Amino acid sequence: MTATITDNKAASGQASDHRSGKYLAFHLGNEEFGIQVMKVREIMGVQDITAVPHTPHHTKGVINLRGKVIPVIDLRLKFGLEEVPYTQRTCIIVVQVKGEQGSSMLMGIVVDGVSEVLNLTASDVEDTPDFGTGVETRGLLGMAKIKGKVKILLDIDHVLTVHDLTSLQAALQ
Amino acid sequence: MGQELDSSEAVRAWSERIDSVAAQFVLGEAASVDTVAENLAWMRREAAGAGWEEIARLAARLHDRMKASPQWYAEGPMADGLEKLRRAIEAATAPKAEPPKPANTLAQDAGLVNDFILETREHLTSIENDLLTLDREPAQPEALHSLFRSFHTVKGLAGFLEFDCIRALAHEVETILDLARNRQLDITARVIDVVLESADYLKNEMNRLEAELAGAPPSASADVSALIVRVQALNKPGEENEEEAAAPPKPELVRAPEPAGLAVETLPAAKSTPAAPPAVAQETKAPAAESRTSSEKFSVRVDTLKLDYLLDMVGEMVIAQSMVRQDPELAGLRSPRVTRNLTQLSRVTDEVQKTAMAMRMMPVGHLFQRVARLVRDMSRKMNKPADLELSGEDTQIDKTIVEELADPLMHMVRNSLDHGIEAVETRRASGKPERAKISLRASHQAGHILIEIEDDGRGLDREKILAKARDRGLVSEGHTLSDNDIYNLIFEPGFSTAAAVTDVSGRGVGMDVVRKQVMKLRGRIEIHSEPGKGTVFQLKLPLTLAIIDGLVVGVGAERYIVPIFTVQEMFRPAPEMLSTVKGQGEMVMVRNRLLPVVRLHARFGVQAKSSDPAQALFIVAEAAGRRFCLMVDEFIGKQEVVIKNLGEGMKNIPGVAGGAILGDGRVGLILDLDGVYGDHSRV
Repeated sequence: MTATITDNKAASGQASDHRSGKYLAFHLGNEEFGIQVMKVREIMGVQDITAVPHTPHHTKGVINLRGKVIPVIDLRLKFGLEEVPYTQRTCIIVVQVKGEQGSSMLMGIVVDGVSEVLNLTASDVEDTPDFGTGVETRGLLGMAKIKGKVKILLDIDHVLTVHDLTSLQAALQ
Repeated sequence: MGQELDSSEAVRAWSERIDSVAAQFVLGEAASVDTVAENLAWMRREAAGAGWEEIARLAARLHDRMKASPQWYAEGPMADGLEKLRRAIEAATAPKAEPPKPANTLAQDAGLVNDFILETREHLTSIENDLLTLDREPAQPEALHSLFRSFHTVKGLAGFLEFDCIRALAHEVETILDLARNRQLDITARVIDVVLESADYLKNEMNRLEAELAGAPPSASADVSALIVRVQALNKPGEENEEEAAAPPKPELVRAPEPAGLAVETLPAAKSTPAAPPAVAQETKAPAAESRTSSEKFSVRVDTLKLDYLLDMVGEMVIAQSMVRQDPELAGLRSPRVTRNLTQLSRVTDEVQKTAMAMRMMPVGHLFQRVARLVRDMSRKMNKPADLELSGEDTQIDKTIVEELADPLMHMVRNSLDHGIEAVETRRASGKPERAKISLRASHQAGHILIEIEDDGRGLDREKILAKARDRGLVSEGHTLSDNDIYNLIFEPGFSTAAAVTDVSGRGVGMDVVRKQVMKLRGRIEIHSEPGKGTVFQLKLPLTLAIIDGLVVGVGAERYIVPIFTVQEMFRPAPEMLSTVKGQGEMVMVRNRLLPVVRLHARFGVQAKSSDPAQALFIVAEAAGRRFCLMVDEFIGKQEVVIKNLGEGMKNIPGVAGGAILGDGRVGLILDLDGVYGDHSRV
């Protein structure tokens, strides 16, 4: 009946609503991540990547996806983690991201391995803690605690389209 | 949460409360301060609960004020406040007035509007075509009927969607055209002008609607009443005189206030030669072309995204088919039946690929149509009567080329009219026909398309160009240049002599942009000119942009595709051909010419099989007028490949034009030799 309850519902309701749903869980080293399943087009084993000159270190090159040529990004390098040789578990996740101008494009990301699909409810997701001043966490949708493990939920649109992720890298280290 | 009370009940309940507050206030009972406060607090809570913020605020303010100074309670403001409160409640609980019905309810459907725009634009193209036909053949029946039908259809569509201004205008024009096709009205130049103006109005309206669909704020149709009056006036012969008087090309009529005798004299002249205004451009077609019927073939609209996807899939199919065909296990079977089937498969696949590629083609005539309009308008403005001659309009070219070539083509024609064609007096004096001739020709020639723009003007002044180039430091002394080289100087940025950009072009496209655009399409421009006689611009363009004929070469583990049109020859150098020149890097002697060597592995930072040039393959290539030798490891094969974009993030990589899928499914990078050569001194 009072105004305060109304306010509360309006504020927090929106935030958790859009973060619940299905996530594809994968890992880079010991760190576990999740991206929204809606953005995932397919998963494939790592294959021959054609290198393209004059591109950033984390851009591995391009691959042939059924007639379409798409860029492939090594997520480890993008996050400033140490590069490791590819194994049989290494996968390329093909995602559909929304660029800065609203255009959508396909990109592949190389990850150490893919584990499962998680079904997260609003209560499973928490906001990323405030790491301190100057650390930007826009690439992170939040954190989820499932079966005792913390998974970092990525805003893959932001991660793959924004060039300077140094603050994000700092947050992850 | 507050309850949504039925409006009359709510109003009543609240009014009662307010009345009781007001009553207490009027009665001035001191003890009632608290009661009033309580009532106001109740109102605030209820209002907040129901989301009536304004009321809640009012109530809160009154409550606080009163609590703060009970004396105030006795003063005027309280009564005002209560009145305001009462009015606010009535407003909040009054049944919502019906939102004003939007003018075109059907037009709310974006899909319908979009279709309307597309269809009308098609009709507009046909309308322009027909008008230009009527310009030279004022009584041509097919054009008249087609023109009538177009406006009639647009009228119907506009009426259905309640676009009243468009409908009204179309109706007026249709009326005039009906009279014309029933021979009750002559198609004079003035009629054509007004109908063209109407078409322009429609064009602008389509643009406006399109912008609205894309999110621009809704706007009203432009005022059409004046135009409608002009259209109606076409049917009143008396008016014709004044119209002609207004048109600039007739200097004697400008002094119309002179005795009516002068005007009367010119009237019969105007009537007898409908094409009298001296600067009307005429369009003649090569006798063979009977294009009217060919454009009425049945056709389907296809979403370009679907088309592109189909082409991608067809490309993929060709590769898959080739992989099956080359599979050693199948060959090992040595089965004649399998071989026969595979051959059949490959034949069909080739046919499918050719057909898919052809879907991107359209007749170049579309391009020429826009030029025709330009010539007509411009030759009038400049007072340089000109005839436009078209040939080869049915020649098929890739639709992207048509789109990208439109502006450069128009600019070159404008340039011809502006600088090439002399003024009428000059032409007369030199014995040339008063009407200038501009020709546009398109044809297929041994694997590429040739588009020629020719004028019979004054030609290019070789010496003047050379002098200007020397002035601007574009050419150094002692350099001998061929005629073609000199003429090509007009494409250098900063060389443009266009002092005044006419409003027809609007965009100020310089000749340097023209060349850049042609090169972007992997084409070349050749210029031939004869002083006093005229100039010919020859545009040579590849048949299709989607496919490129390439040499697949290897550097280390990487595969690259070198476009064949840039390649002169390939060879393995003998050590004595190689040398190093101070300040210029590695060079190689080829056919008595010293050419710079560009190491691809160095340019791209990849590991080559060997860094010894004697073990490598040299490809003599030409890019942007410069010749050099590209050093790679080996030659793998010749292949026709479909060019694929590398994606947004990789649009401007120097040296890389795109990607292609090779026979083994891998991606090979297509080289942009201009970028590979780059700033060679930086090596």
